[in-house]
Amino acid sequence: MATASPSPQPAAPSSRNPVALRLYKILGTNFDDEGTRQALKTVSELYGPSSAARTMSRKSIKPSPDSDSDEEEGQDTSATQNTFAETFLGSANVPGDTAARARKHLRRDVENKLTEASHKFLKAFGEVDQQLDVLQQHVATMRMHCDDAESHLEETNESCKALLERAGSLRQERQSIATRQSIITLFLSKFTLTDEETDILTSRDIQVSRRFFDTMDKTERIRQDCQILMAGEDGPTQVGLDIMSSTSSNLEQAYEKIFRWCSFEFRQMGREVQVEVSPTMREAVTRLRQRQELLSEALAFLSQSRQTVLLNAFTNALTRGGPGGLPRPIELHAHDPMRYVGDMLAWVHQTIAAEHEFLESLFDVKTNMRMVGSVRKFGENEEEEWMQELMDAAMSKVSVPLKVRVQQTIRSQESSIVSFKIANMLQFYMLTMQRTIGEDALLSQTLHEITDVAYKIFFDSTAAHGKALLGVTLDLDDLEVVPPLVIQDHGQVLREIMAVYESSISEDETPEQQASGAKQIMDSMIDPAIEMCLTVSEEKHRSRQKWDYRVFVLNCLTYIKSVIEPYGFTKEKQEVIDELIDEKAEDLVDDHYQNLTRDAGLYEVLAICFDRTSEEPMSRIPATEPEALQAALHKFSVWLSDIGVVHSPRLARLTIQSLNARVHHAALERLASSYQRLCEEVRKPSNRYEAAATLLGSERPFGQVRLLWQIFGLQDQERA
Amino acid sequence: MAISDYDADATELLETYVVWPDFLMKYIVIGEAGAGKSCLLHHFTHNSFKEHAQHTIGVEFSSRTVKLGEKRIKLQLWDTAGQERFRSVTRSYYRGAAGAILVYDITNRASFLNLSRWLADARALGSPNLVVVLVGNKSDREDDRQVEWAEASKWAAENDVHFLEASSLSGDNVEAPFLLCARSILLSIESGALDPEKAGSGVSYGDRALRRVNSSSRLSFGSLSGGRRKGSVRLKLPFPGSGRCC
Repeated sequence: MATASPSPQPAAPSSRNPVALRLYKILGTNFDDEGTRQALKTVSELYGPSSAARTMSRKSIKPSPDSDSDEEEGQDTSATQNTFAETFLGSANVPGDTAARARKHLRRDVENKLTEASHKFLKAFGEVDQQLDVLQQHVATMRMHCDDAESHLEETNESCKALLERAGSLRQERQSIATRQSIITLFLSKFTLTDEETDILTSRDIQVSRRFFDTMDKTERIRQDCQILMAGEDGPTQVGLDIMSSTSSNLEQAYEKIFRWCSFEFRQMGREVQVEVSPTMREAVTRLRQRQELLSEALAFLSQSRQTVLLNAFTNALTRGGPGGLPRPIELHAHDPMRYVGDMLAWVHQTIAAEHEFLESLFDVKTNMRMVGSVRKFGENEEEEWMQELMDAAMSKVSVPLKVRVQQTIRSQESSIVSFKIANMLQFYMLTMQRTIGEDALLSQTLHEITDVAYKIFFDSTAAHGKALLGVTLDLDDLEVVPPLVIQDHGQVLREIMAVYESSISEDETPEQQASGAKQIMDSMIDPAIEMCLTVSEEKHRSRQKWDYRVFVLNCLTYIKSVIEPYGFTKEKQEVIDELIDEKAEDLVDDHYQNLTRDAGLYEVLAICFDRTSEEPMSRIPATEPEALQAALHKFSVWLSDIGVVHSPRLARLTIQSLNARVHHAALERLASSYQRLCEEVRKPSNRYEAAATLLGSERPFGQVRLLWQIFGLQDQERA
Repeated sequence: MAISDYDADATELLETYVVWPDFLMKYIVIGEAGAGKSCLLHHFTHNSFKEHAQHTIGVEFSSRTVKLGEKRIKLQLWDTAGQERFRSVTRSYYRGAAGAILVYDITNRASFLNLSRWLADARALGSPNLVVVLVGNKSDREDDRQVEWAEASKWAAENDVHFLEASSLSGDNVEAPFLLCARSILLSIESGALDPEKAGSGVSYGDRALRRVNSSSRLSFGSLSGGRRKGSVRLKLPFPGSGRCC
């Protein structure tokens, strides 16, 4: 290109020349861009394949860069054009004619081509037009269809709306129904029992168990909840009434079932002596308390079976012992009445304890571990009443054989000591039982009865003994004054009985209670003995004057007293005997005094001195004439030095030495006072003794009473 | 402390009402008056000391359920009066006893010297396999002691009875004699020497109904022996001091 530039150079001064400018512009145009290449390539293709095409392409190329400049610079640019064309079409190696042709015909060729193409377009568009028409028709048809469809849709919509509404309402309905259903389900589950539960309550085939009680609880709860339904504004609702009636019938059946079950179980309890109560059983009994009549009916079964089982157990214990013979049967020791009766009563006591435990656990009573011996309060509550009744009934049948055996035993006792021991033991058990099972219990009453019988038999036997004592006659030829053997035997028996009695005294008894308890024994044992001594001795005395009955009586009395003396509770009786002894001792003193006066030779003198009735002076009475008096006083004086003053062989036969001394002293005292009185009488002028003082003073004790006292060894303080 | 070992095994007092016992055993508590029999028993059943105790009149009854290994044993306890005047009454209660708790007072020699008579009575009248536990009570009064431990232990060994000392005041060892006795009885059942089926044994099954169903398992004490091996039954003799054994 730079080679081409010198040619427009001269026109440089007229740079403002538009042609030049134009030219520069053209010259400056760079055809080496993609667009130009593409265009040239298209042109070359136009002419490439055929000459015609080539010409056309050459023609079309020539004017195509710029039709305006083609006119003015045709010659100048032809060379450049050529090179230019050659540069571009060099590869095609277009022959020169084609280029020439192309230069000539380019416009036409292009126009032809255009026309041709336009025709093609036209034709194509004609087709398109046709097709479009068809399309339009289709569209129209489609539209029609669409309209149809739309109207259909609208119709459908219309009709659907109703459906939808219906569906919606149905859905709502369904929801509300579902709610109601759940409410009803809840209601039913809250207010009714399931079939299964009803079965549990009512069916005989299903065992009474924890579930059963739970179901009962549920039923009760339903009934409680149902109160709400019953308390509507318009009074009880029908459903409430229905529920109440169905549950109440269920409950009744449930109670019936418990009752049947309990009755069955209770009858089973008749097989064992030791029974334990299962929790189910305890629960059942607790429940059944709501139906007292059923409970009492069921308990009647229990009571019956317990009666039988305890009776059998008692009989077994009595006659068979344990299965292997151990422990040995109680009756094996029937020969030992204490052991026999004791074993039976102990058996009963132990059975009561076990039975009581059983009942406590049956009624679920917690007793704070009360010991059986301690005092029980009765009738505190319902359970206690039940228990008492059942216990009473359970032991009632045992009472019969017990009573028979104990009575047999006590009746066959010959020894009153043994009967007394048995009676005491019975009383002990009676008191124990009264505290354990109550005073009104049949067994307590039975024990009371047999205790009474035992005491009666004991007292009968002592009474018989006493009677036998009274019938005893003494050996007339036996001059002994000691208590006879019968009395001594009696005393021995009494001693043992008192020992038993003392051992039976409980610690809380007052002395008064102890004494009153012993009174009957004392009376029945001692009174006949005393009476016997008195009467028998009187009798013997009548036929044997020589026999010293007074000493004998005193000996007997003191012996009896000595027997009872060790026991505090005999005080009353001791006092009675003491009185009697005093009385009898007084008699003996009298008697002894008379004997002493006789022995001392003062008998006649004193008799006159005290008993004279006439006013005659003593000195004129023959027996008390001074000589006679002198003789008597002499004899007295001699007697005073005799042993008889200090010792009386008669009184020596008194078993109690103190009594001996007492009686002797009393007699001596009396003798001394008699002597004193004699002296006084002698000294009296009215008795006309001459030298009375000499008369008295001639013999010991010389008229001095004090001296006499000294001789007698007596203290005369009290006299002074 | 030895006592705590027993506490672990001791059941609650009220458990009697809850749980079914496996065995019933009859015990008698004997010994001279004033030895503290009632107090010992009271402590065992009530877990407290009995204040101002009076002489027992005749016999008194109480019961308690204890647990030995897997076995629940209901003890029927007969507390007897020690006074001579009640002897004729109390002796009747020995009949068929399975266990005897023979109590003396360590501070009263006289109560120890009479033991042979009590033991002879119990052996003569109780069940043939009577298990006797000698208890020296009032062990808290060491200062007043009149009977030495060794002496009593010797006596116990000679007479083939178990022995321990206890205090019903402090509660020391009060449960031990009862548990020891129960264990001894259980062991003699296990060894076949004692048959609870026999009424005279003083032992009977608590749960008869179950026994009827499954009598063989009732007679097995595998659990008891096994338990001991495992050490869950802590019935070891809590001897005072260490290493002493009767």
